[in-house]
Amino acid sequence: MNRRRFLAGAGLAGITALAGCGSLSTQSTRAPPLVEDRPDATYRPTHVEGMGMAGMAQAGDYMVGLTYSFPHRFWTVTGTTAEKVDIRSEDSLHLMATVWDPETEMVLPVSAGLSITVERDGDPVADKPPWPMVSQNMGFHYGDNYALDGDGVYQVTVRVNGMSERRLGAFSGRFGEAGETTVDFDFRQSTLEQLSFERLPDTQGDRGAVDLMNMDMIPTSQAPEVSALPGTVLGTSKGRDAVYVASWLRDAAFLDDGQSYLAVSVRTPYNRVPLPMMSLDGRVEADGEAVFEDALTATVHPDIGYHYGAVVETDASEPSVGVDVIAPPQVSRHEGYETAFLATPSFSF
Amino acid sequence: MTGRGISRREFAKSAVAIGGTAALAACLDRGSASVPEGTDDPSTLPERQHAWNDALATDDAGNPRMPRHHVLLLLDYAGDGTPIDAHRERVETALRDLERAYEWSTEGLLFTLGYGPAYFERFGSGPAGVDLPEPEALAPFEDPAFDTPDALLHLASDDERVVLEAEEALKGTRETANDREMTASFDGILTESDRRTGFIGAGLPADNQDVEGVPDSEPVPEESPLFMGFKSGFKGNQATEDRVTVASGPFADGTTQHLSKIRLQLQQWYEQDSRDQRVSKMFCPAHAAEDRVEGVGENLGTDSGMDECPEDAVESGRRNGVVGHSQKMVSAREDDSPRILRRDFDSTDGGQAGLHFLSLQGSIADFVATREAMNGTDVAENSAVGQRVNNGILQYMNVERRGNYLVPPRSLRSLPPASPSK
Repeated sequence: MNRRRFLAGAGLAGITALAGCGSLSTQSTRAPPLVEDRPDATYRPTHVEGMGMAGMAQAGDYMVGLTYSFPHRFWTVTGTTAEKVDIRSEDSLHLMATVWDPETEMVLPVSAGLSITVERDGDPVADKPPWPMVSQNMGFHYGDNYALDGDGVYQVTVRVNGMSERRLGAFSGRFGEAGETTVDFDFRQSTLEQLSFERLPDTQGDRGAVDLMNMDMIPTSQAPEVSALPGTVLGTSKGRDAVYVASWLRDAAFLDDGQSYLAVSVRTPYNRVPLPMMSLDGRVEADGEAVFEDALTATVHPDIGYHYGAVVETDASEPSVGVDVIAPPQVSRHEGYETAFLATPSFSF
Repeated sequence: MTGRGISRREFAKSAVAIGGTAALAACLDRGSASVPEGTDDPSTLPERQHAWNDALATDDAGNPRMPRHHVLLLLDYAGDGTPIDAHRERVETALRDLERAYEWSTEGLLFTLGYGPAYFERFGSGPAGVDLPEPEALAPFEDPAFDTPDALLHLASDDERVVLEAEEALKGTRETANDREMTASFDGILTESDRRTGFIGAGLPADNQDVEGVPDSEPVPEESPLFMGFKSGFKGNQATEDRVTVASGPFADGTTQHLSKIRLQLQQWYEQDSRDQRVSKMFCPAHAAEDRVEGVGENLGTDSGMDECPEDAVESGRRNGVVGHSQKMVSAREDDSPRILRRDFDSTDGGQAGLHFLSLQGSIADFVATREAMNGTDVAENSAVGQRVNNGILQYMNVERRGNYLVPPRSLRSLPPASPSK
């Protein structure tokens, strides 16, 4: 099937043999030069990495899945700037945590974040909170490159903090408390090396995205299809180049009489990965009158997914809505997303 | 396969971190300069145990400069129930011996002795006129253990020999301090339940950076007084000693003390964040955009320049996606003054980079309010700023322990009753 993938693997093995155990040489192979003239938008990365399972466990209300891949470069975001994080020679792997609700299998972006400590026989090996991140094939997760001490069984403790996002519908009253769990992770360098590493020489840099990975054990983070959103969809707009879907709910269980709900779901193009940690302002006019003008609140709801919303004191059926992006998503980015979603556009619906 | 675990276990500890008579002996061999002697007249010393500022040296900008070496001893009273007068007298004698031995200064010795809620429980009531609550978790994302010793002794000096020798003298393992005879000790009265040590001042964090929590790339600048690479404790960002002093009641001229033990993890800080990101997160994004911080911040003078940052941290955070630590602290000011006086310092206890955050305030409520501002939960709400990501320096620290104490006035420092008649 995939000749390119096979060749990449063979090349890797060759270099490793040549250099003895030079992590530097394997590293450069696994970080192909970045695409020149990257578009200010989602683009196909230079390569796609496979992923291994490190463990899975329940932590309070949450399920936590730990996965890993090759160490790789990523970008942290402050404001509208993405800052590249390079691979260090001592980095062993890119460790990722996905947090989800075991009942609905919805992946939860918890802006309160989580802590990861890695120990081996009681000795500390690594201790840092992973960054909230989006990747084209992994969706939303928490991740960072970690340095381990070679093959062996590591105890990875994950603490997921209580959610500060508003929780509506069946999520109301849940996820308020922190949960913690420890899993044994049997790390083998040879197993890591067997993960796929596929170069994309023909399409790298093209606008587009690689597909979300389908994992057996771990749900993928995807916002609902526009047609599946509850209420009335007021419109869909594109920023640079996130997709903004505004919907209007008049009869949700969490509303009182005379109230409606504005929900703005922001997701990546192509893969519908929800984009959390944004500042959004909203304005609602009904029958020519301003009925709402304030910040929208990051919220999760089983049917709407992660979104930014506001309860509005009106029962108007055809509101006119304005949305201003005050700050773009402050989530770190894997390659292909680092030049996208950094603008602060405004929309009307 | 970095061999990191092994090298870390073998890290070179400072003498103060090791402690004990052997460390002291090694230290005494090293140092030769004489240590200034103290006073035979206790009345020349301030009634406030925490009145250190007049005795502290100042830096070039005029900020009081903390002593470089510190020892904290968490102590339990050996007796059952309330302390007996004979013990009070011996504790007081030992402390006066120290005051005779060392000048009340950074070249000599500065110290405080405070008492926790567990101590006052022996009397069946809290300290008269002072609210001294049990410690509690102060952020939704922290899970600290609580220190519950009877007492907390803080020893501080620029001279390593002095803190080590004073400690051994108080423990009764050494008969002299600065060549003056010790006529009493804490032996059999106050026993150690934990010992913590640390340092602050240019050069020390860089010299002691081979620990867990600081990456192997040795990123801590030589001139930095703290592990995170920036100065702190600017005069303008500190409460005055007057402000943190208990104003009335039998414990007037005392102060309340909060001590937290904070674990630092600085790999992301130094190897992933850029200089601009660090300045944004420590001070404010405007300081980074305008390049206002040179080096470790020596150019800032006597305050962190928060007048130059947007005053509304919530709005600024929403717009910038990041909020500075100092920027958040502005909202904790009362009558345009900070509410706490920081006397914190870094640590390598347990081979781990840490911070012993010791602060003084009029009441523990002042500390709680200040910490609440630092939590930035108001900023994280409705904003792109995360609860820890891009929210000051919260991502790089974990509070492991908390404890509250009352530092009585000097005249009541030795095993005081809960309701002294003054």
